[in-house]
Amino acid sequence: MRTNTTAAALLLSAGAMLSVAPVATLGQGIPVGHLTDFSGPTADVGGPYGQGVADAIAYINRQGGVGGKKLEAETVDYSYQVPRAIAAYKNWSGRVVAIQGWGTADTEALVGFITKDKIPYYSASYAATLTDPVGGSKSDKATPYNFFYGPTYSDAARGLVQWAAEDWKKKGGQGKGKYVHMGANHPYPNSPKAAAEEYAKELGFEVLAPIQFALTPGDYTAQCLTLKQSGAHYAYLGNTAGSNISVLKACQTVGVQVQFLGNVWGMDENAMKAAGSAANNVVYPVRTSAIWTDKVPGMALMREISKMSDPGGTAYRASHYIAGVCSTLFMKEAMEWAVANGGVTGDNIRKGMYVKQNWTPKGTEGVCKPSTWTAQDHRSNLQFDLYRVEVKGATDGSIGDLIAKGAIQMKRVATIELPRKKEWHGW
Amino acid sequence: MAGTVALRPCGDFRTSYGSDQTVFPTRMSLAFCVLGVAALSLAPFVFGKYVLSLLIQIGYLGIAALGLNILVGFTGQISIGHAAFFGFGAFASAFISNKLNVPVFFAIPLAGLATTAVGLLFGVPAARLKGLYLAIATLAAQFILQDFFARAGWFTGGVAGTAAKSFSVFGVEISGDQHYFYVVLAYLVILYLAAANLMRTRDGRALVAVRDHYLSAEMMGINLTKYRTMSFGVSAFYAGIGGALYAHYLGFVSVEGFDILFSIQFLAMIIIGGLGSVMGTLMGTVFMVLLPEVMGGLAKMLSGSAIDRLLSLNEGIVFLREMTIGAVIVLFLIFEPDGLAHRWRQIRAYWKLYPFSH
Repeated sequence: MRTNTTAAALLLSAGAMLSVAPVATLGQGIPVGHLTDFSGPTADVGGPYGQGVADAIAYINRQGGVGGKKLEAETVDYSYQVPRAIAAYKNWSGRVVAIQGWGTADTEALVGFITKDKIPYYSASYAATLTDPVGGSKSDKATPYNFFYGPTYSDAARGLVQWAAEDWKKKGGQGKGKYVHMGANHPYPNSPKAAAEEYAKELGFEVLAPIQFALTPGDYTAQCLTLKQSGAHYAYLGNTAGSNISVLKACQTVGVQVQFLGNVWGMDENAMKAAGSAANNVVYPVRTSAIWTDKVPGMALMREISKMSDPGGTAYRASHYIAGVCSTLFMKEAMEWAVANGGVTGDNIRKGMYVKQNWTPKGTEGVCKPSTWTAQDHRSNLQFDLYRVEVKGATDGSIGDLIAKGAIQMKRVATIELPRKKEWHGW
Repeated sequence: MAGTVALRPCGDFRTSYGSDQTVFPTRMSLAFCVLGVAALSLAPFVFGKYVLSLLIQIGYLGIAALGLNILVGFTGQISIGHAAFFGFGAFASAFISNKLNVPVFFAIPLAGLATTAVGLLFGVPAARLKGLYLAIATLAAQFILQDFFARAGWFTGGVAGTAAKSFSVFGVEISGDQHYFYVVLAYLVILYLAAANLMRTRDGRALVAVRDHYLSAEMMGINLTKYRTMSFGVSAFYAGIGGALYAHYLGFVSVEGFDILFSIQFLAMIIIGGLGSVMGTLMGTVFMVLLPEVMGGLAKMLSGSAIDRLLSLNEGIVFLREMTIGAVIVLFLIFEPDGLAHRWRQIRAYWKLYPFSH
């Protein structure tokens, strides 16, 4: 009897393999769009993130794809130009079932298109306006097909303000602390401005007039002099790392004594190396549970994935790379659910995102934060860590070495856990 | 710059003003034009999405470039702010159709008229300036309008941009490139015919007179200020229509697309195509649209090949595209300063007299 069942099971599995195998070879694969900025103003962080997405897709394919079908990714470098992103989308529409995207301006521009075409869109823009799938929150539009892994820009900024308020108390600051928003006049730096300023006021800060600087690196001495003159205590840097480094360096030269608060894309390991001592003391949010050098179980998978573009396995990967991998793996698991529940269509992938609560993709435990998306709320992560940069001495050599030597250190200063407030939804 | 329209091969005599001014010099050229348009209208059935998108791009850019050619090639003015007018047309059409609820069918010409008004506004001071000073005045237009786009949230949606509806006629929505292609084609044919006709009228000839010798023109009774301003207005109208077509094609307009580089690109189109040539404008546009695509394709072919390995280009290979485009433009200016239109005339003349050319 026992042998019979084993034989039957073997036969069945063989039959299953036979029936699956032709699909794997003849099946046309799952077309996925991938928008990235390798050459535009945000290429400094777009490079590592885009590489993370590309490597994760290559790794998924090497492991046999999703449900036996390979992901056919088409990577388009759109240089952070909205029209080019839309042109790429128009080229894809009707073919791709999901998209790994990038910036805020282009993601918001594409909302109407992807909602109409029912294509899940995993952005690297964490604008709070993308988190309301039904509408009715402070955001003026419903975005049922927009997903992203990480705290919204607004929530991250609220976390920073919260930390600043505690820091102000701890330091024994006299009177009202002064908070200022800095960044380009662009949808991405503008995104958390109102939320953070209002929360800062609520927590007793005096909010100063914002200071503008462009998304591209340049000479920002004038901005630093304004900052110095304003007497601000806490300054939020809304841009990506490249231009923030320019500001940090200029402000160091001018001698500004301000606690800088970076956004998720505003500071990373590459920026610390480039900015050197100017980056010292910057506090910024990290949306993964671990950084590259941490010894956690999920890091083994990250290192395997990293080998897709670095066979030697020696490269140090910035936190953005890991976030790119996480975003892709979340999409992959939703696709797997879709395969088992009616096929890989945009709508099914979207449903697949809602199946589990507080979940991480398989094998990424301890790296990707447990996230929850629901049909009413796409704020996936309200819990995240704040790190402080410590740079000691010269920053020559590879980042891996610098971290190993302790020349660059990232110290966790706080874990923020924001309440899921309804009045904070969508902005 | 002057004279490319007036040159005729020897032996080509005209006996009436009508034949001198005709748009199509021979029956054959008319037949070719009609056949060309007919062939193009089959394009959506023949070509895929990619080629079709390039054709549409050629269409709306060609219309805007023709506007610039009227200003630069025919009137002898200069403008390095053409992209801003193109952008104004795009935003205006989106605004008119979104906020004022005007069907897109009407919004496009209305946007053209609104852009004309803006063009006339900037044309007034520009009409009194010449040469480099005029260039700087139009540069100012470029920056003023670009800044306006970024700040006038009510009109443009500010830095976040604005969505543009798809083309509709009396409630019937026309979406998809295959249908939109015909809209662009219709505008292209009408506006190109209009420009060719404009050059046959008194006003068109006045523009050419202003270009060739403004002092003589003034002595002949041509109001310089009027015609220079008018030229700005017409040029802005074409740019506005081009921009509006672009807005409803893409479905979204954002401020960053309309920078000075784009203005320079328009200049490159008409210089490569041939200043003062209507058909040359289209040739130049085709050239400028296809060049990056061809170069991109070449770069893709090169990647991983022996040349790539030999020169260890790796990631640098994508930049080959940009560099080659620059090089091709420079070579063009050296070896074909009169543009593609001139080369085309030479080819035609060669075959006309073949095999006894001289």
